[in-house]
Amino acid sequence: MTEKNLTLKIKRQDTPGAAAYWQTFEVPHRPFANIISCLMEIQKSPTTGDGKKVCPVTWDSNCLEEVCGSCTMVINGRVRQACTALVDNLEKPITLEPMSKFPVIRDLQVNRERMFENLKKVKAWVDIDGSHDIGEGPIMTDQDRAKRYVMSECMTCGCCLEACPQFTLDNAFLGAATFNQVRLFNLHPTGEMKKEDRLNAVMGEGGIADCGNAQVCVEVCPKNIPLTESIADIGRQTTWQAIKNIFTK
Amino acid sequence: MAKPSKDEIHYLLLKLHSLTGIVPIGAFLVVHLCVNSLRTVGVWPYQLSIDAINNLPFLLVIEITFIYIPLLFHSVMGFYVIHHAKTNVHRYRYPRNGLYTLQRLSGAVVFVFLIYHLGTTVAPKLWEGKHYFEAAPFLIDILNGEFQTWQGLLVYTIGIVSATFHFSNGLWGFCVSWGILIGENAQRNGAIVFAAIGLALTVLGMATVAEFNMNPIPVEATVAR
Repeated sequence: MTEKNLTLKIKRQDTPGAAAYWQTFEVPHRPFANIISCLMEIQKSPTTGDGKKVCPVTWDSNCLEEVCGSCTMVINGRVRQACTALVDNLEKPITLEPMSKFPVIRDLQVNRERMFENLKKVKAWVDIDGSHDIGEGPIMTDQDRAKRYVMSECMTCGCCLEACPQFTLDNAFLGAATFNQVRLFNLHPTGEMKKEDRLNAVMGEGGIADCGNAQVCVEVCPKNIPLTESIADIGRQTTWQAIKNIFTK
Repeated sequence: MAKPSKDEIHYLLLKLHSLTGIVPIGAFLVVHLCVNSLRTVGVWPYQLSIDAINNLPFLLVIEITFIYIPLLFHSVMGFYVIHHAKTNVHRYRYPRNGLYTLQRLSGAVVFVFLIYHLGTTVAPKLWEGKHYFEAAPFLIDILNGEFQTWQGLLVYTIGIVSATFHFSNGLWGFCVSWGILIGENAQRNGAIVFAAIGLALTVLGMATVAEFNMNPIPVEATVAR
């Protein structure tokens, strides 16, 4: 075989809470291959670089086109999606680690449930009407529609939280993705009805005031969502809400 | 009045931390550096300003209420914030992430510097009971001595640069977290303006240090008429 081999250093963990360890694997270097295809190659015959037969490396993936967020992991020290990480563009040897801010399930799989719990806390949805017809809803301006479109691209992948110096495995911080959803739904003419609930939900421990403005979230966001703009806007909305609370509550 | 919840207290404390950094502490820093820079104009205007401040009625009450209590609160909250930060600038090398780390570092540095600064100026002044017109010659004598050694110059340079950086970067942080600067452009332009303010304050402070170093002139107490 004339094919060059590619070395992958993978951080592995057998069960939740178990100690992590590193293993090295060699796979054939195929042009345009992504990290997922390398992992599939390992799965065919999981043998480490020194010839030891081991359990296959597990990982999460779904859409393979950077819209679902499930294959998010730390590649060469930087959080990103494995599906769009092409081996040709990566420094060798390639290191793969699970995200460090979420509990590891096994190997490269993590539990991102906290993100979905946070969305529930801030009511990141538009309440539905009854089954009866109550006529047309309010009109949204095209400018707001355009703004919301970019924000709505969030796939809850967790990159912004993994890279955030304020977000840790065991604190209460809600994080950029959640604040962005608050802004998204507060900008919706019908979603706006729950605006105060959402703002009050981010005005506590782990809320908007905990943001340290390191702005790494916006740098690592794979969807280029203006997260720092969303954070500052929620900062403004909560400031007004706080003043309103002082005088009306 | 209903008892505030734990979440409300948390929000209030962090917002107060942010606010006290601007007023009164930031405002005091600006006034302090501006007044001290009178030293570059001459010893007499400088002494006059110290006389004016030290003859204020209820000076100690004003200092405790508007400087020491807010400063202590801002410091305690600052160390709480530092404790909860997990800096990662070595991994994610972006300018704003570097400033985030520096903001925390400079805050701690300023805290240590202030212990030294208060220890060599205000503490002996109160201890020896140098009030009113007696304060100026006493303090100027101390400062003339402090700026003659390289150690003194180094300590004050680190202290002043840390304080002006912490204040100007903190102004930006305040404007973002209170929602004054929202858009990407607004935040960038704000950063440029605040950097200019920080630079101006640093020049002001360092010019004062240089003047003290080059012309240590002792003064007599102003004679009250």
